Amino acid sequence: MLFTPLLAAEAEGLQLFPDPSELVMGLVAFILLMIIMMKVAFPKLNAALEERQAAIQGKIEDADAKLAEAEEAKRNFEANLDDARGEATRIIEEAKQSAEQLRADILEKAEAEAAQMIERAQADVAAERQRVIQELRGQVGALSVELASRIVERELDASTHEGLVDEYIQRLSSQN
Amino acid sequence: MTIFLAAAEWGGEFDGVFDDINALFDFPFLFSFELFGQEVGINRTILIAWVMTAVVAALFLIGLRNASVVPGKLQTALEAIVELNRTIAMEIIGPKGLKFVPMLTTFMVAIFALNLAKITPFMMLPPTGRVAWPLFFALISWVIYIGVGIKEQGFGHYFGGIAFPSGVPKILYVILTPIELVSTLILRPFTLAVRLFANMAAGHILVVITLVVPWVFLPSFPVGWMLGVVGIAAGPLVFGFELFIIALQAYIFTMLTAVYIDSSMEAH
Repeated sequence: MLFTPLLAAEAEGLQLFPDPSELVMGLVAFILLMIIMMKVAFPKLNAALEERQAAIQGKIEDADAKLAEAEEAKRNFEANLDDARGEATRIIEEAKQSAEQLRADILEKAEAEAAQMIERAQADVAAERQRVIQELRGQVGALSVELASRIVERELDASTHEGLVDEYIQRLSSQN
Repeated sequence: MTIFLAAAEWGGEFDGVFDDINALFDFPFLFSFELFGQEVGINRTILIAWVMTAVVAALFLIGLRNASVVPGKLQTALEAIVELNRTIAMEIIGPKGLKFVPMLTTFMVAIFALNLAKITPFMMLPPTGRVAWPLFFALISWVIYIGVGIKEQGFGHYFGGIAFPSGVPKILYVILTPIELVSTLILRPFTLAVRLFANMAAGHILVVITLVVPWVFLPSFPVGWMLGVVGIAAGPLVFGFELFIIALQAYIFTMLTAVYIDSSMEAH
C-alpha cells in the first residue's frame, strides 16, 4: 500500500528534458571554473612544478659536482700518499745505502790499518833481526879473531883479517 | 546519523514524497526573471552546483595560491589529483595528451564535486542527477574531441576516417558508415551523459529511500520497526557505496573523454 505512490511515480517517469535555467546556470559555473583552472590554478601549479624540477635538477648537479670534487680530492690524496710512500722508501733505501757504504768504509779502513800494522810489525821484526844479525856478526868476528890469535899465539892484525872473517860469516849465514 | 541527514533534507515531512519522483529532483525557483520570453531562475539544485563549484575553485585557488617547491598538505593533495589526470592523459593519449591535463582535471573535480553533493549534509542532491549537467559536460567533451580531430587530421580526413574506417571491404561501408557516424557523433556524447545522469539519479533515489525508510517505518511496531532498523543499518553502507560510485563516475567520464580525444588524434 505504501509503495503504490512510488509505482505511480515510476509510471509518470523521471523528467528527462534538461531544465533551461539549470543548463545555463550550471554551464556558466562550469565555464567559470574551467577559466579559473586554466588561467590561474594550472599556471601557478606548473610554475611550482618547473621550479621544483629546476631545484631538483640543480641539487642533482650540485651533488654531481661535489662528488667529482670529492673524487678529485681523493685522487690528490692518494697521489700524495703514493708520493709520501715513495719518499719514505727512497729515504730508507738511502739510509740503507749510506749504512752499507759506511760499513764498507769502516771495514776497508780497519783492514787497511790492520795491514799497515802487520806490515810495520814485520818491518820492525825484520829491522830488529837485521840489527841482531849485524851485532852477532860483529861479536862473532871479534870472538873469532880473539880465538884465532890465541890459537896461533901471535897477534893478528885485526883489520887485515877482518875481510877474511866477514867472508866466513857470510858463508855461514848463506848456509843457514 | 542518517536520521539527522534525512531531517536536514526533508525536515521530517514526507507526505507525498513519492507521489511524483521528480519531486526528489526538481525544485521550484527561489528567484526568477523573464529572459527572451523564458523564465530563468535559480533553484536549490543550481545553488548546490554553484556552492560545490565555488568550493572546488576555492580549494584550487587557496591550495595553489602560493604554489611552492616544497608543497603543503593541500597542494600535495591537489597535485595528486592532477597527477592522476596526467597519468590518464599519458597512458591513453600519450605525450601529446599532456596539454589536455587541465581540461581533464577540471572535468574530474567538477563532476566529483557535483556528484559528492549527493551525500553532502544539507545538500543531499547531486546536480549531476539532473539532465542539464551531464548534458553540457558531454557536449563540451564532444566539442573538444571533434575539435581535436578536425585540428589534428583536418576536416575531411577526420570525418572521412570516421565514416570510412580503413581495412574493411568496401561493400561493408553500407553498414559500417552509418554505424560509425552515429556511434562517434551521437552515441558517444549520449552515453557519456546518460551514464552519469542515470548513476546519479538512481543513487539519489537510493539515498533518499535509505534515509526516509527509518522515518516512515520506525513508528509502526513491530514489523515496520524491523524495517526501520534495517534502514538505519543500511545507511552507512549505502553512503559508502555511493561515495564509490561518485568517484568512479567522475573517473570514468574523464577517462572516456581522454579515450575519445585519443581516437581523434589519428585515424584508427
